[in-house]
Amino acid sequence: MIEIDALTKVYGAAQVRAVDEVSLRIPAGSVFGFLGPNGAGKTTTIKMLAGLLTPTSGRVRLGGFDVARQRPSAMAQFGAVLEGSRNVYWSLSAWQNLMYFGRLKGLRKARVAERAQDLLTDLGLWERRHDKVGGFSRGMQQKVAIAAALIADPPIVLLDEPTLGLDVEATRTVKNWIAEQARELGTTILLTTHQLDVAQELCDRVAVIRQGRLVADLPTRELLARFRERDRYEIRVEGAAPSGFDAVTRDGVTTISARVSDPLEVYDVVERLRAQGAVLESLTQVQPDLEDVFLALVSEPSHA
Amino acid sequence: MTFIRGFAAEVRKGLLDLLAGWREVLMEMITFPLFYLLIVLFMGRGQLRADLLLPVLLGMVALTFIHEQVNRVFWSYLGDIQSGVLEQTCLTPLPPAASILGRQVSAVIAALPTALAVLATGAVAVTVQGGELPVDAQMIVPLAAIALGTCGLALILCGLTLVFKRIEIITQLSVAVYAIAGGTLVPLAAMPDQIAFLSRLVVPVAPGIEAMRDILLGGHSLAALPTGWGLGWLLAQPLLITAAGVVLFNRFEHLARHRGTLGRH
Repeated sequence: MIEIDALTKVYGAAQVRAVDEVSLRIPAGSVFGFLGPNGAGKTTTIKMLAGLLTPTSGRVRLGGFDVARQRPSAMAQFGAVLEGSRNVYWSLSAWQNLMYFGRLKGLRKARVAERAQDLLTDLGLWERRHDKVGGFSRGMQQKVAIAAALIADPPIVLLDEPTLGLDVEATRTVKNWIAEQARELGTTILLTTHQLDVAQELCDRVAVIRQGRLVADLPTRELLARFRERDRYEIRVEGAAPSGFDAVTRDGVTTISARVSDPLEVYDVVERLRAQGAVLESLTQVQPDLEDVFLALVSEPSHA
Repeated sequence: MTFIRGFAAEVRKGLLDLLAGWREVLMEMITFPLFYLLIVLFMGRGQLRADLLLPVLLGMVALTFIHEQVNRVFWSYLGDIQSGVLEQTCLTPLPPAASILGRQVSAVIAALPTALAVLATGAVAVTVQGGELPVDAQMIVPLAAIALGTCGLALILCGLTLVFKRIEIITQLSVAVYAIAGGTLVPLAAMPDQIAFLSRLVVPVAPGIEAMRDILLGGHSLAALPTGWGLGWLLAQPLLITAAGVVLFNRFEHLARHRGTLGRH
């Protein structure tokens, strides 16, 4: 479990509040999405969580251990892949990197070797284990970084933009793997990403930070439901656009956007379409995706 | 046990880097002996004078360790900060100062091939000039003092670079000060008293080099070193500098965590 209490970071003489009183509870075995636009305070929060940056005030506990006061125990609970960083030594091979980081975490050599074999096999890197990481593709380097973060089998893993710059296949491998870690092994995963489709697919819960403050912290489904536009429907009909509707025609199919004050009014809309001879193809209530929700949250007027 | 495993991993990584950079080691094994011979030639006005070969050889061997322990470790540490790998090493239960100490041990081992090449060149040159290369097991003590004291300096410089950008010049300067004020080329006894006093006090290699000269050139025992401040200071100075290095490194590391400068990628 990750517990963050009133975490605040104030920088420099200008007293810039990069993170302001952020509190989160991330239960064990869940995938938690931590989202925010550039400069919102995501990286600062993550670095404080990892103990790489000392908070001005507030507290972080990883698996029950205080990061500031019980650093060695807290770090034993934790593995991370940080964005914009190499994370592993490019001059060493994948195998040497895993052995190095495993030993650095305090594991016995035999245990590290066993775990490294499992991880490299799972990630499809076993055949290239003795090649230098510097010669790997971006996707393979990222897989080595993920393997290094998980070498000690930590119960808590932070993945900062884990699919950034990866091709479709590598992204799918990483996504499947994240889901498997959480669902089957019970690992708590804190995920940050700008790829909101990835977050929507993987995260049980999502928090959004903006200008250093949390503007949302809800289960993903609940967050999406809150932004569901119950009064908007999308109706697709064959052929040209009927008159009196807000419609767009493309490739012989017309999409009508209908706004109603009462769900029963949908029947009236359909009746009006039938009266004009329109052939109904589909009728759906508009469902927002995480991107819509995110944009709505970060574009609201600031109250700061 | 965690500390020992982490420390050993750091040493092993340093040695793997050394193996990967064997061409650089080979170049140093050629250039350092060449520099040694050139320095003796310049100091001897074009002659490989027997009275200069041995004192300069001692200084050059010491400089080899300084180069590896300060220059190589500093640049590799800075590289880790800039590539972001250092942050990963901080996500372990291992105290960050232990990482520097592990790098120091591998740097000392990394210095051995070049130091041996310089020694071999010196031995040949001394023999050709009709002399004999003295050997004394007591040498190990001042050599260890030099390695330990240099480790303290490396800790301070690595700590500084965690907080301040572009301090490369300080590293270069400190190596130059070592070469000039440490007595590597000119004995402290030949320097002005105040300079010699300061060197013995704060330059980590100075007491070690002075002791090596006393043992190998003067034939004195460790217990009765005639120049410098004696065996007590030879042992105490590197310990004090390393202790100061650990304290300062931890302070700088603490400051870096406050400012968020552990990674600058």
